[in-house]
Order: sequence, then structure tokens, then C-alpha cells
Amino acid sequence: MINFQLNNTSVQVDIDPDTPLLWVVRDHFKLKGSKFGCGMGLCGACTMHVNGEAVRTCTLPIAAVQGAAIISIEGLGTPDNLHPLQQAWVEHSVPQCGYCQSGQLMSASALLQKNPNPTDDDIDVAMNGNICRCGTYSKIKSAIKSGAEVMRTQESIVETFDPASGKSIVKEASS
Amino acid sequence: MKTASITRRLFLLSTGAAATGLIVGCSSAATKSKGYSSIAGAFEPNSFIQITPDNQVIFYLPSSEMGQGILDGLTTLIAEELRVDPTAIDVRHASLHSDYKNPELRFQGTGGSNATRTQFLPLRQAAADTAAAIRNAAAKQLNQPAHKLLLADGHVTAEGRRYAFGEFVALAALMPMPENSPLRGPAQFDQIGRERPRLDALAKSTGIAVFGIDAEVENLYRAVVVRSPVLGAPLKRFDATAALKQPGVVDVVEIRTGVAIVAQSYWQARKAASALELDWEKTELASWSSDSIYQKFTQTLNDSSQKGLKCCDEGEGDKLLNQAQHVVSADYYAPYLAHATMEPLNCTVAVDGDNCAVYLGTQYVEASAGAVVYYGDFDADKVKVHPAFLGGGFGRRGLGDDVAEAVVIAKKTGRNIQLVWSREDDMSNDFYRPAALVRMQAGVSEQGLIETWAVRRVGPNVLDHILDQWVDVLAPDYLNKGFVDWLSKLGRPLFKRFIADPSSADGIFSDYDMPNKAVRHVAQDPGLRTGLWRSVGHSSNAFFKESFIDELAQRAGIDELQFRLANMKNNPRLTEATELVAAKAGWGKALPGGHFHGLATHSSFGSAVAQIAEVSVEGTKIVVHKVTAAIHCGLVVNPGIVRDAVEGGIIFGLTAALHGEITLVDGVIQQSNFHSYPMLRMADAPKVEVHIVESQEHPEGVGEPGLPPLAPAVANAVFKASGQRLRDLPLRLT
Repeated sequence: MINFQLNNTSVQVDIDPDTPLLWVVRDHFKLKGSKFGCGMGLCGACTMHVNGEAVRTCTLPIAAVQGAAIISIEGLGTPDNLHPLQQAWVEHSVPQCGYCQSGQLMSASALLQKNPNPTDDDIDVAMNGNICRCGTYSKIKSAIKSGAEVMRTQESIVETFDPASGKSIVKEASS
Repeated sequence: MKTASITRRLFLLSTGAAATGLIVGCSSAATKSKGYSSIAGAFEPNSFIQITPDNQVIFYLPSSEMGQGILDGLTTLIAEELRVDPTAIDVRHASLHSDYKNPELRFQGTGGSNATRTQFLPLRQAAADTAAAIRNAAAKQLNQPAHKLLLADGHVTAEGRRYAFGEFVALAALMPMPENSPLRGPAQFDQIGRERPRLDALAKSTGIAVFGIDAEVENLYRAVVVRSPVLGAPLKRFDATAALKQPGVVDVVEIRTGVAIVAQSYWQARKAASALELDWEKTELASWSSDSIYQKFTQTLNDSSQKGLKCCDEGEGDKLLNQAQHVVSADYYAPYLAHATMEPLNCTVAVDGDNCAVYLGTQYVEASAGAVVYYGDFDADKVKVHPAFLGGGFGRRGLGDDVAEAVVIAKKTGRNIQLVWSREDDMSNDFYRPAALVRMQAGVSEQGLIETWAVRRVGPNVLDHILDQWVDVLAPDYLNKGFVDWLSKLGRPLFKRFIADPSSADGIFSDYDMPNKAVRHVAQDPGLRTGLWRSVGHSSNAFFKESFIDELAQRAGIDELQFRLANMKNNPRLTEATELVAAKAGWGKALPGGHFHGLATHSSFGSAVAQIAEVSVEGTKIVVHKVTAAIHCGLVVNPGIVRDAVEGGIIFGLTAALHGEITLVDGVIQQSNFHSYPMLRMADAPKVEVHIVESQEHPEGVGEPGLPPLAPAVANAVFKASGQRLRDLPLRLT
């Protein structure tokens, strides 16, 4: 039995220990926002936060997340309560096919947690693991910058989500 | 942000299509069948629009949204004429119905960058007639003259009072349906031409947009298929003993393309796949490697006894070639390419007695439905296709091979299954962009005008493989299957011996004033299946044509921009785009040290595109700093989406120009995942600037035309930076 936090809720799962986290989140918890792209950690479509780090979950065995805090795209924000980066993504009209964008957003939000004012080079390095076949890179970069600017001027928001529905349970502001 | 309406719309977009958007034949005796299931009390004037009494406006999107922005574009057309805010429209993917046929393809599908062009008037007419019906009903119900009513924002205003459209739908449904209602003119447009974030941006920025791979049905098992390492080789024998003992595995079945493993989870199925023991028959493709293919193409190119099929003959053909002041000849090569959509192919099938429901992202809804009928032996009226968003299409998704596997697995196991291809499956079982070797020859006058244009092209075709795929699944189901299969195989001999596959020569002799032309194609096919890759023939032919045009200009000693303009006097659209890009990029002006400009111009899918690439060379590394583009695509529905599509084509084209190459050794594809078939990443993406030529002409394609000029623009700049004329793709300096 593996216990971990999924979008700030304690969950447990009894599953083959080498099953990648991606498939546990998608097919066991039915959170479909994180995508399968390559299965080798090469494209970033499956990116989630593991203890605050952007991690390729298509190659991360579930056994390795025992006790970890996992945030998927469903935990980043919702249509009714967007993360500033998601707001920027919409305003910049970033997505084309959209398949890679959950992973792009998770890599970008992990970057901004550590570096609230990244340079172009910082962004290039942090986003290097995420492929976009439609070619939205320039818009991603612009959206990261404007999302970062918004975040620097507002307090951070912590939210708790029900992993099954993706709905917000508790909302509280922290300093 | 109007959260409530957006959330409602998103809900429908993400889940509603699966719940409601699918019917086959709900017609009553009195009304023609519509493409959607009826909603009680709703006004249902045609297969595109439904308006409910509570003022919900639903639009059934007849084209597949694969990133190109057609959801946004076509919804804008509806919004414009119906007088509704586009963000308030519930958009649903249309399921299979004859009303959704692509007017050019003649079947329901999305390709050829033609959706805006072909739907620009019909969809607006459908919306304008619907608005007129609401107006007439409101006039009668409110006892007001129709011309005194104002329609805007989903409401009718009469004598200062606002009434929601929904208040009039009951009466509108009973009144005669207006036809040929006048359309709004460009001066009145308040939606068409307006720039705003695309309508699907929110769903795609929050993880709630539903792609095919996200489908869930009850009692769903997961399936993977192990296929031959040499594409298409039949199975000789297999031993599933070990695989069947793996955890979670419930079935192992043989299908046409290999062996399917069905398990409770994807990971269990994927792991068990490696426990299968398989032997494959040897096929002709196994005797080919990339080196031998290239040698064979070269031999054929030089073998003048193989005349090839005529693609174009004009004027004196190539008879006067050697009389020109400047005669230039050069050979060019483009490799096979894979599509590598971000979402690997997948298909979910639910069987309930005689009924079969399939869930997938597909460009070709009709081919997907046909594949269920043909391969699964279901009656056509028992098949329901639930279309989803596509995680990239580029010509790959929905050819029927995904459905063919999935439906047979479901049928043989009696289970609901989701088939998921791995990235490796996807890359080694594609319908590849065909390789081609060409000899370009031209005669140029002393004044720098092209007199003769002669091309000899060697390589596989596209259409024979696609026809083999499509005739099977699109043929009427009353035809005998053996006959249909025989018919589907006719493409190869047809396009080898009798007529040239038009897609092979697409764009290789166009755009310029060339009084004498002779274009020949020798079909030579090692048997690797080929298909429709973003911009199809233009993807390689623009590279051949536009690199060669630079060679001609340089031989004649004329500036490459002036040479082009002088030779495209009969091509006003391309001229406008070319002049615009030259002005915007500063052609001929000083650049930072070591940076060079390369120009390429090409028309495809009705639009003209010119691009200037700014490039430097560091050792053998090609660095593309900036690409400036101009497009003439007629009237623009959403300028942001036009720019995105062109930029997308440039990035897609640059991945191909710098990295793209599918190679074979003994018939086995050597590329398997993104380490061996790399994609451009953010740090290597150039700055892109897209300019749009102002125009009121009928809208043309934008999904594909941005791609073809990219490779030659870069190659032309590389020549200036390095002195090396790179005539093979991908571009590699030595």
C-alpha cells in the first residue's frame, strides 16, 4: 500500500509498485489532465510536482512517491479559480492542440516557486524538458513572464482539492 | 471573467459531446434528420445550431480541432451572423452525419486546410437564417415589425426591452424557416476579424479538455499491440504462455497487425508485452535500408529509359533548356518523416450487443466510423463515434488503422477496451511523409527570367497508400468486402503506371512565370507506407523549388528577392506577401555580424506565404535567430490564430529542416522516441514575427501554408553564411 498526498489530500493505493505515477493518477484516480507522451521522460507531457519539483511522472514508479506531496494540473487551479499562470495562458491564448500544456504549466509553476523573476535563459533551462509539437514556445515564454509578474504582486494562495473530482475543498490564504 | 457561462460551456465541451453529440437517424417523417439528438423544446433549424428555451446556444463543430484553431474560427462565424457572443456558445464536436461532410473532401473529415474556406459561407448562412427565424418569431410574438427589432448578444431588443432568444424558440420552430437571409458585410463585422483569446484556451490550460486518450467507459480494460519490427509483416507464430501469466493480463489475441495484450491497466499490458514470443514473416520491405533506397532512387533518376509520368507539360516542355543563357541543374533529397503527434494514437471501444461506440480524436470521423463497420462487422447504423480533441493531427490521426485494431480486440475479447499506442509504436507504425529525390533543371534568360523549368522526381507516392486505407473504410457497406479490398489496392498500379499522383508534384512547378515546363514523376516505392504529412507534397517540394530558385538567382547574378519578384508577375498574392516580408525583415539591410538572411516564397492551400530566416553558423551548427513571415490568406477570421498557425508551421518545419529523418535498416525504422527523433525545444526556437496582408478576399487555408517555405528560407541563409549549398534534408553542415 502506497500512501501519498495528491493535490493536498491523503490518498492510498494498492498497485504494482513499479507502475508509473502518471498511470496511477490518470487511470486509478481518474485525473486525466496529465498526459502520456513518450513513456521515457523525454517530452514532459506528464509533468507533476513531487514535493515541489517538476518531475516526469511517466517514469516515476509509484513506490518512489511513498509519503510525497504530489500536485497535478488539477491541483494547480480550476476554471473558476485559475492559477496566475493559467490566467496568463488564457490571456496569451497559448494552447494550440493543448495536449502538452498541462505539463508545460506544471514545469512553469515549479520554476516560479523557486525563481519568481526568471530571465529568458532561466525559462529556457526550466522548460527544456517540455516539447510542444504545435510550436507555442514563444507564447509560453511570454505567458510565464506575465504570470510571474502577477504572482510577484499578489500573496500566494494555497488550495486543497478533492482528487476524485478536482473540486476545491478548502481555500485559505497563507503568507 | 464570466465564470458561470464559461464553466458551463467548458463542461459541455469536455463531457457533453460524449453524452449527447451522437445520433444516427433520429428523423421523424416530417423533418429531415439532424446530426445531433433532439432537446425538448429547442429550436433546431439545421444540424449546426440548437437554441434551447433557456437560451443555451449550441454549435456542433463539423471540423476536428487539432490545434489549428478551427473551433474558434467556425464558432466565430456562427456568432457573427447569429448575433451571439462567441464565448457564450456551447461548442460540441459533431458526430457522424451527412450534413457535416467536408464540401471538398466529400466525406466528413478535416484536412487540406480547407475548413474556413469551405465553411465561410455555408455556416454563416445557417446562422443568418436561424437569426432571421428568431427575428420573425419575435416580431409575431411581440406584434412588432421585424425590421424594428434589434438582435445582439443573444437577445432581441424591442422598444427598449431585451428578450432572450430562448423566449422565441417555441414559435420559431413552428414558423416557416427563412432561406438565403442576407449576410452581414465586412463593414458590419464585429466578431470576424477581431482578435481575442481562443475559445478553447481555458479548457486546455486547466487540464479539463477531453482528448481521445482521456475517454472512460464502464468496465474498461487496456490494450497494447505488439507489431512487426518491419512495418506490415504478417505474424508467423506467437507464444503467449508467459505473457498470460503476467499480473492483470486477461486476454491475448491475434489481430491483423500483430498480437494484442489486454489487461486491467495500461502498465500491466505494456509490461506483459515484453513477455510475448513472436515470429514474423519476411516481406519485401525487409530487403531495404535507407542507403539502398537512396541508391535505387539515384539509379532511377539517372536512368533516362524510365520516362516517368507526366505531372505538367507547358509550352515547349524542356526542349529549349540548353538554349538558355544560364542552364542550371541540381539534385535534391528529402527523407521520410514521421508525424510524432504529442498524443500517441489511441482508441476506446465499447461494445453493447450489436452496438459499438468508439471514442477518439480523429481528423476523419467518417473513416473512423467506416473502420468499425469494415473491420468490426457492425451495421453502420449501430456505430457511434464520439469525437474528442486531438492531441495533434498533422494528417496522421483518424486514418482508420487505430480503430481497426481496437474494434477487433474488443470484438474478439468481448470487452470494452482502450488501445494505447506507445510512442515507439506511434513512430514505427506511421504513414510517413514520402522520401523524394529530384533533379531540378532550369534555363534562365540573360535578363534573369526563367524560360524553362524541368523537374524529374523519384520516390513513393502518397495516394496509393491512403487509398488502400480509405477505400476500405469509406466504400458503401453494401459492396462486397473482397471487391472493396481489391479496389483499394488499385491505387498503386494506377499511380505507378497511368497517372501521376498529384500530391507528389504539389507545388514543385507553381508560383513563377515559367513559359516552358516539363515535370515528370517516376514512382518508386520500397513499400514503407506513406501518408499525409502537414502540407503534404508542398513540405518537400517547396524546399526543392525555393532552394533552386536561389541557385538560379545567384547564377544570374541577381538579388534573390528581385529575381523572385521579376519572375512572379502573374502571382499578385505571393508578390504582396513577398514585398511585405522584405520590408518587415529589412531585406538587404545590415544584420548583426555573422547573421545572414535567406528568403523563400510559396503558395499552398490557397494562401501565399513568404519567409525570411535570419541565420548564423557556428562550426557545423546552424542557429536560426529569427523568422519573419508574411501571409496572404484572404479575409482573416481571428488574426491571432492566423499568426499562431504560421508560427506553428515554422516551428514544425524547423524541427524537420534541422532534425527530421526517418531511416531504415533492413526494413526496420531506426527512430523510436524523442531521443532519436528529436523535436525543437524552447531554447532553440527562433523569434517569429508573422505579418498578415490586409485583404477582403475569400478566406484561404492557414493550418499548413506556414510550413513549406521554412526549410528553403533556412537553407538559403545557410548558403550565404557558410558557402555550402545544402541540397539534402535535414540540413547538415560538413
